Amino acid sequence: MRYLLVAFGLLAGAAHAEGGADPDWPCIQRKQPHLSLGQMWTGPAPDDAVRELARKPELAALADRLEQRRLPLPQAEAEIADYAKSADNQHLTALMLAIFDRIEPHRAALMDGIARYGRKQVDLAARIEGHRHEMARLEAIDPPDFDAIDAQEQKLDWDMRIFQDRQQALTYVCETPVILEQRVFALGRAIAAGLK
Amino acid sequence: MIDRIALSTLALLVAASPAAANRVFVSNERGNDVTVLDSETLEVIGTYPVGARPRGITISPDGKELYVCASDDDLVRVFDPETMQETHTLPSGPDPELFVLHPSGNPLYIANEDDNLVTVVDTKTHKMLAEIPVGVEPEGMGISPDGKVVINTSETTNMAHFINSETFEIFANVLVDSRPRFAQFNDQGSKLYVSSEIGGSVSVIDPATQAITKKITFQIPGVLPEAIQPVGVRVTRDGSRVFVALGPANRVAVIDGATDEVLDYLLVGQRVWQMGFTPDDKFLFTTNGNSNDVSVIDVAAMKVVKSVPVGQQPWGVVVAPN
Repeated sequence: MRYLLVAFGLLAGAAHAEGGADPDWPCIQRKQPHLSLGQMWTGPAPDDAVRELARKPELAALADRLEQRRLPLPQAEAEIADYAKSADNQHLTALMLAIFDRIEPHRAALMDGIARYGRKQVDLAARIEGHRHEMARLEAIDPPDFDAIDAQEQKLDWDMRIFQDRQQALTYVCETPVILEQRVFALGRAIAAGLK
Repeated sequence: MIDRIALSTLALLVAASPAAANRVFVSNERGNDVTVLDSETLEVIGTYPVGARPRGITISPDGKELYVCASDDDLVRVFDPETMQETHTLPSGPDPELFVLHPSGNPLYIANEDDNLVTVVDTKTHKMLAEIPVGVEPEGMGISPDGKVVINTSETTNMAHFINSETFEIFANVLVDSRPRFAQFNDQGSKLYVSSEIGGSVSVIDPATQAITKKITFQIPGVLPEAIQPVGVRVTRDGSRVFVALGPANRVAVIDGATDEVLDYLLVGQRVWQMGFTPDDKFLFTTNGNSNDVSVIDVAAMKVVKSVPVGQQPWGVVVAPN
């Protein structure tokens, strides 16, 4: 039971450490539901012409390829440098916008998913607490019904195992939005380096 | 004539000789190490283990002792900056995050986030001198240039506490915006800057009257307001420029020290946290926790000149005085 309390402590600690603004948010990282282009980009502000350009198939295809995490960053940077040789600022801004518009919704959906994950853990913790009370009640009955106690113990063990496995995965889950932010920032830096 | 030639040759030599290179020390919160850079070449000299979760970092005025808050070891580790060998540790209380050194080099005032205390430690005898009860979750630490007033900010109480550095007593409290993170005096002692991470502002306080004279707020085109989270603050020696790290906005705000107006926002790296000047105020180094690099700002030009990759999650930075 002690390790369950520790797990609860971790969950509570994470929320507490960030000021407890959102009780559903299970990560140590501060919750930032959306990114904005200005966090990554000081080049020209996109206008309608740039937005139009960002939708053109050639540019969209390039953004699709660069955005994928399976394309190693140095290779993506090399492709951007290559593209920047012949691209004007309008095209480079459009490329940045196209990449941002791909990564940001993906990240926002992920943030919602993490919040759901956090809520599920809270629900599961409540259920475990219920199992524990039931165990205590069964154990207090004289004579004890050992079959009922065994069945209850199994339920408790199972839920605790799920809780702990999820809790361990949380570190990785919480890192994913950061990895996406790093990707879009690094691509933005590479594109900005090509501005004329 | 000869004199003039000699003089101009001398001037040329002075101009041509590079400014003295200083070592730059960057604490990497997740890497559990310190990256050392050369302030002139901006090359990495080396990376050295320094204990668990290093955050606050500072150096003695004579440049002989480097202090690192090893937050998860619950102590301050002291290193020889030349060899990066640990020489001793100082008691700090639990979870030390930030500290400030008296201008004379002794004592060290340490904020303990977990137990609502500021711990005062003698850097010569390595003994604890006092524990000062402050607000909830103490964090930012500042000291007046004359060494008489220590400031602590408490994150949850949202106050800047004015502490007498000799009697260790709080003599004033100033309510600031939500989650104050950092306190910094200008060298003239005429202004105290306190950043508020959630409030998104920097309070300018008159240290003589403890009154807030101005609240600096930040608006960056194309950046959502919740991404603007002021943390580290540094002021040039002449007091004319104030730099504020804006966390996940990935920008450093440049403020006119006379008018308290924002002059510019410089894009640095991701989650910019703390900053440190070279002794000549020529460069400002910023730690970027999420892009794992340090940005170098040319202070006079107000331009980012370079980004240098360092360790995992860089947090604090200090430049050797010599």
